[in-house]
Amino acid sequence: MSAAVAPTPTYRRALLAPRRISAGLQHAYIWLWLVLFALPFVTTTLHSLRAPEGGLTLESYRYVFGSFKENLLLSVEVTVATIVLNLFIAIPAAYAIVRHPIPGKRFILSTLNLALYTPGAVMGISLAITYAFLFDIPRTFVGLLGAYVVGTYPLMLVPIIVALRDLPRVYEEAARTLGANRLTTFFRVELPLLGPGISAGILLTFVIVFNEFLVTLFIAGPNTTTAALRVYNLTRTGFLPSTAALAATMQFVSFIIVLVFFKTFGSRYLKGTYLI
Amino acid sequence: MARVRLVEVTKRYGQTVAVDRVSADIAEGEFVTLLGPSGCGKTTTLRMVAGLVEPTEGVILFDDQVVNAIPTHKRNVGLAFQSHALFPHLTVAKNIAFGLSVKRRPKAEIEQRVNELLAMIELEGYGDRMPAQLSGGQQQRVALARMLATDPRVLLFDEPLSALDRNLRDTLKYSILALQRRTKKTAIYVTHDQSEAFAISDRIFVMNKGRVEQAGTQLDIYLRPATEFVANFVGDNNALRGTVVEVHEDSNHRRATIRCGSLTVQAHAPGSIAPGDRVLAFVRPENIEVLQDGASADEPGLIEGAVEQVVFEGPAVRLLVDADGTPLKVTVSGVQRLTLLDAQRKRLRLRLREVSVVRDEAA
Amino acid sequence: MAHPTVTLSTRESVAPSRASLWKRWKGALIGPGLILPAAIVTILFSVIPLIYLVIVSFTEESSFFFNNPVYTTANYSTVFDRYLPHIQTTIRLALLASLVNLVFGYPFAYILVRRVRYRELVRTLMVFPLFGPLYLAFGIRYVLLPNGPLAPVLDFLGINATTLLISEPMTVFGMAMFTFPFMVMNVGTALSNVDPLLEEAAQTLGAKPWQIFTRVLFPLSRSGILAGFLMCFGWNLGVFVVPILLGGTAQQRVLSITLHQKGLSQFDYGLASAMGIVLMALAFGVTWLSLRFSRGALGA
Repeated sequence: MSAAVAPTPTYRRALLAPRRISAGLQHAYIWLWLVLFALPFVTTTLHSLRAPEGGLTLESYRYVFGSFKENLLLSVEVTVATIVLNLFIAIPAAYAIVRHPIPGKRFILSTLNLALYTPGAVMGISLAITYAFLFDIPRTFVGLLGAYVVGTYPLMLVPIIVALRDLPRVYEEAARTLGANRLTTFFRVELPLLGPGISAGILLTFVIVFNEFLVTLFIAGPNTTTAALRVYNLTRTGFLPSTAALAATMQFVSFIIVLVFFKTFGSRYLKGTYLI
Repeated sequence: MARVRLVEVTKRYGQTVAVDRVSADIAEGEFVTLLGPSGCGKTTTLRMVAGLVEPTEGVILFDDQVVNAIPTHKRNVGLAFQSHALFPHLTVAKNIAFGLSVKRRPKAEIEQRVNELLAMIELEGYGDRMPAQLSGGQQQRVALARMLATDPRVLLFDEPLSALDRNLRDTLKYSILALQRRTKKTAIYVTHDQSEAFAISDRIFVMNKGRVEQAGTQLDIYLRPATEFVANFVGDNNALRGTVVEVHEDSNHRRATIRCGSLTVQAHAPGSIAPGDRVLAFVRPENIEVLQDGASADEPGLIEGAVEQVVFEGPAVRLLVDADGTPLKVTVSGVQRLTLLDAQRKRLRLRLREVSVVRDEAA
Repeated sequence: MAHPTVTLSTRESVAPSRASLWKRWKGALIGPGLILPAAIVTILFSVIPLIYLVIVSFTEESSFFFNNPVYTTANYSTVFDRYLPHIQTTIRLALLASLVNLVFGYPFAYILVRRVRYRELVRTLMVFPLFGPLYLAFGIRYVLLPNGPLAPVLDFLGINATTLLISEPMTVFGMAMFTFPFMVMNVGTALSNVDPLLEEAAQTLGAKPWQIFTRVLFPLSRSGILAGFLMCFGWNLGVFVVPILLGGTAQQRVLSITLHQKGLSQFDYGLASAMGIVLMALAFGVTWLSLRFSRGALGA
């Protein structure tokens, strides 16, 4: 009955099997970069918390809401104004591009994106010249606004176009058969459904305008110094904890807003745009 | 609640003709189905009735009103889509109320109508749910309620059940029919599924390549196909190519004798068929009788053949019979099928019934 | 049942055509009308300024702003003569940074697409560089300062942080950090379109890892690599703040910085504009190439 039964061969994967080592190294590589991405922000924050006599303090943040308050307020104002204008420009334009036959669409699109491909310094010098010579708006809020709008509304266009293309036509058709005219259909059906795409556009505009300093450097004046430009100006004079505090605040606010967006809508609507 | 007429309606996209001179007169309260393969122009026809597509030529009338120039939102038609097309950002109640609310009806009236419709589709208490929280069948029912809310003149259905699973399709198609019967509204229903078309239509328009091949009742379409396409598209068929030998006419029938190779078959002959015509004779596999041994051997028109293949499909047995070189598909159901399971290579005598004839266009 | 043939009076069949003609006109106008605000903004703040830039680039110093501007092509000969090293530095730095992006970004994108499940986390942390090179350069500079947070670690490793600070490698690294996400985005998109089955098929056919890369992955992701490289290159051509905070005078000889000095400090608008035109020509050339290789988000 019990003939010699060969023992079942066993195999246990070694703890240091080449596959495991390779997988571990790959994850380590990703994490190395993740640390590098966050490192400048983290060290800036640490620097901002450093007290002159050693130890930690929030003292520097008094400047953020003290002498930098005006710059921050200006940044917020001009960012919000840019977002509002961008919405009025980008939503109709996206609608036209996706839903209407326009002769020379390709050419028009690349012209609209002109500012997107222009290096910041070139845009800065050209606007500085034009503002001084033609429009007579050097160093003004309007000047900043024009530069930001032209530079960012094409970025807002992208996610809205993507969302509009993804939106099935049946919703529009259903609304039409139910008696809604074009305008009603747009405001009651399409616009709400484009929400995530529009939010993505708002996010992109915010992140860029809020942190823009290069074009601003060319066209801003003493009364129109945005917070990001203030950071740049301050870095030229030294590395004070108060500068770090302002830079950290700017990044922190930007990051929170990105985070909220990711949590609400995911990153789908940002595919193919500036923010991944 | 309107008579719908299409007069020589054509839709061209550049060089391609999507719909080619389609005419139809659909009576008030009639349920008409446009049946055809994908790309036959049935959906385009429906969308022209809805106003979503503008005809290149031809006229569409609701009662005596030409509606060509009337935009969709003023036509007051109800359209059910392939996907339910419920607005994902609105609740069930707001979806149903949409049509009334864009027409700025008073709130109280809207609420009452919504409740009425929710009761009708047996979804009371579901008003505050979002469409995504409903099952597929419930979603389609809400879509039906939404389309009925504005009391449309015509009901249009664009393959509304194609995205649902089979059981749901079977129950919902009868709900749709019941709904149409209750509201007595004219309905046009587009489908590629013939069992759906047969189950619910007063009349079926079979379409192919943008044209209406045949319009008629289920019986007309099935037993008297007007064209080769209809004969082949609807159900299974045996096609026999042959020549009309003689036409025999009596009080209410016109019968033709057709020679197909070595076989001679008797068929119903439409008026246009005359002796000498090259024709296609069609006989459905289930319209071929297998005669038992006792049957009389000298009946005219009987055919003999050898069984080449027997396939047991449960409710039916399918035979492939070689009748003097002509392959014939035969379907036998009922208890008789069980006697044929070992019929392989045996010779059987067959009686062909309900043979129909169309002119052979290829000849 | 009613018979499907219908006759109709001619009056009824004529009526709709006039209305539909108007509808067609209206339809043709809506599209351009909706795009009008965008067009106006672009013309006012992009097209006109660029035209002015071209004109000013052909005038002497700041003479354009006075009554009788002096037209000359001298600015361009100066740019291609005296400032040729600046053009070279701009291209060199951008090229090096883009190469760093490619070498480090490709494996990053591959691992991200094939192995990593915490992709949302990676995406979230990867937005920090996108807040701009200013904060990056500021942060990196602070890390390397003698009293910075990593000073003890660097001391222990025997690395003299200050020599790293004002150097070309650090400048290139800072630039590369900023554009790293662009490379990952482009290569990642290309790689996620490559079916993993293809790699497994190559593996079962006996291909070694590097052969899988050279024969399968690389050819199939080439368009993404090119698009990513050109995108990084294009952004880095406009580099401004990174050399100021992390580089020495050698790295600060780039077009953006020089044109800012010439224009806003020395009021030589003619020369600054000419530099701007050259820089823009470079950037547009790169963008044009990259749009040809990428399937661009706008498609059109």
